[in-house]
Amino acid sequence: MSYFSAESLCVGYGMHPIIENCSFSLESGCVAGILGANGSGKTTLLRAVCGILPHDGRCTLDGCTLESLSSRSIANLCAYIPQRSGISIDIPVIDVVLMGFHAKLGILAHPTAHMRQAASAALETVGLGGMEERNYLHLSEGQKQLCIFARTLVTDCRMLILDEPESALDFRLRYRMLALLRQWISDRGGCALIALHDPVLALNCCDRLLFLSEGRIVGAVSPASDPKHETESWLSSVYGPVELSRCVSRAGTEQWVMLRDAPMHEPTDSVEDSI
Amino acid sequence: MKTKSICLAAALLLLGLAAASLFIGKYPLSIELMAAGDDMQWRVFRSLRLPRVLVGAVGGFALGISGFVFQTVFRNPLASPDIVGVSSGASAGAAVGILFLSGGMAVTGSAFLGALAAVGAAISLSFLDRSGKNSTIVLAGIAVHALSQTVLMCLKLTADPERELASIEYWMMGSLSGVSAHGVGGNLMLCLGCTALLLLLHRQILVLSAEEGEARMLGVSVGMMRLAVLLLATLNVASVISITGLISFIGLLAPHIARMLTGDNRIRTMLLGGYCGGILLVGADILARSVSAAELPVSIFTSLIGAPFLVWLITRRGGAS
Repeated sequence: MSYFSAESLCVGYGMHPIIENCSFSLESGCVAGILGANGSGKTTLLRAVCGILPHDGRCTLDGCTLESLSSRSIANLCAYIPQRSGISIDIPVIDVVLMGFHAKLGILAHPTAHMRQAASAALETVGLGGMEERNYLHLSEGQKQLCIFARTLVTDCRMLILDEPESALDFRLRYRMLALLRQWISDRGGCALIALHDPVLALNCCDRLLFLSEGRIVGAVSPASDPKHETESWLSSVYGPVELSRCVSRAGTEQWVMLRDAPMHEPTDSVEDSI
Repeated sequence: MKTKSICLAAALLLLGLAAASLFIGKYPLSIELMAAGDDMQWRVFRSLRLPRVLVGAVGGFALGISGFVFQTVFRNPLASPDIVGVSSGASAGAAVGILFLSGGMAVTGSAFLGALAAVGAAISLSFLDRSGKNSTIVLAGIAVHALSQTVLMCLKLTADPERELASIEYWMMGSLSGVSAHGVGGNLMLCLGCTALLLLLHRQILVLSAEEGEARMLGVSVGMMRLAVLLLATLNVASVISITGLISFIGLLAPHIARMLTGDNRIRTMLLGGYCGGILLVGADILARSVSAAELPVSIFTSLIGAPFLVWLITRRGGAS
């Protein structure tokens, strides 16, 4: 039995279906990436899995049916990082991270000294040490994402759901964030489901890739074990013709590199086709 | 530490103003005569001045706290209790009291019921949209406000222009002149209870300021918690304005002053918003009794401060963006 499974998920806005009959499962310890063109339904799928969007179908995590749980119970099982946090009031960075403990506290309770220490440690881990009292709204978009990531790290969740967490981060920080995520999963167990825009990051950091097109999961590969041509073929179906290569860095780590398999000045297909 | 000192200074300023307000008015009170046991002095103190100062301080504090809640939950710096139609409901209720009932207590009770009816209608209407978005409550509030204004206009049309219409208009300008020991106890207790609960729920209020899905994934039952918090905040406002009449701008101004002083939205800032509300209302009431021979409505003074501040806030936000 898989650790997490989504069965026949269907989501629509009004009469317009966005996600149709999506089913997939993840094993414990798995970091799964969702790849798809803009408008393919990645965010909608993640929001349905979290229970933020009403949907048909069923999600099961470690034997618990998520649809039957309260917000507080879901928050104790799953942590969610949106593309951009909706926090729009002046609030110190440490208070944003302390929100991660919200589901563990009683309605009138306040965070303990131990929680404050854990929040400071999480900020240190993501590289925002010493910024505890800075105004969250004054941070750069990348720092905001790291702050929200720190908020996720302080939770004791079994599943992390991240919606393009790398979108505002530079090259170094996006790999660092994914490395921290993998470390978190390997230390505590559980699994992660991440919508990503960067296919190379997904190839190098995810155990499994799910390909979403027009609201359906059309394919799934494990980059480390499946044949290269199969991964290449699925990536080409999303991004146009691409070529994959395995390269070894000076440090000796083997990594995927993706090349566009067409002249740089020629469009491979129309924008309308890819959206 | 800085915020703590500011809170302490604000609390002391409020206490100072409240103490000064006890001795300002047409009937002069003196400590010597009161110490000598003058019965008239004590009667005026107990039945008029003390209730008036208490309503000013506690009411202003409550308006400041409620304003903080509305601005945070709606993520809108210009949000105030009027956004859910509480003021217009109270006005319509007060007009019913003035036209069809007799006595100051009847007007207070009627205004309170009007405010509750407006809030109840806005919240019930918001349930028609199951998505539970913030904007739904705002739209429902606008609809209720429009309906209350229509009722108020109809009532004004039937009012005697010399007495009843003037009373309705005067009530809508807001004043603490009608406050006496008789019958304000219940409202003050309700006000203190709601304020205390809102301060205790500060952490929930902060999380509600996040995007709805995000707040839900942090473990908040968004619909229920928002309903509870807004209900407490509007009950708070209703319990004040049903005694004083409409008081402009304090719910909007006080939280902004507090945030400007501290730079955050922590619980001490919320508390400071309350102190600022109290200072503004007690200060405006002192001016209302002092600047002319006849007592003026307090809203004149709160608006005199509030309107330029609002313009400054808009230009500051424009500059920042």
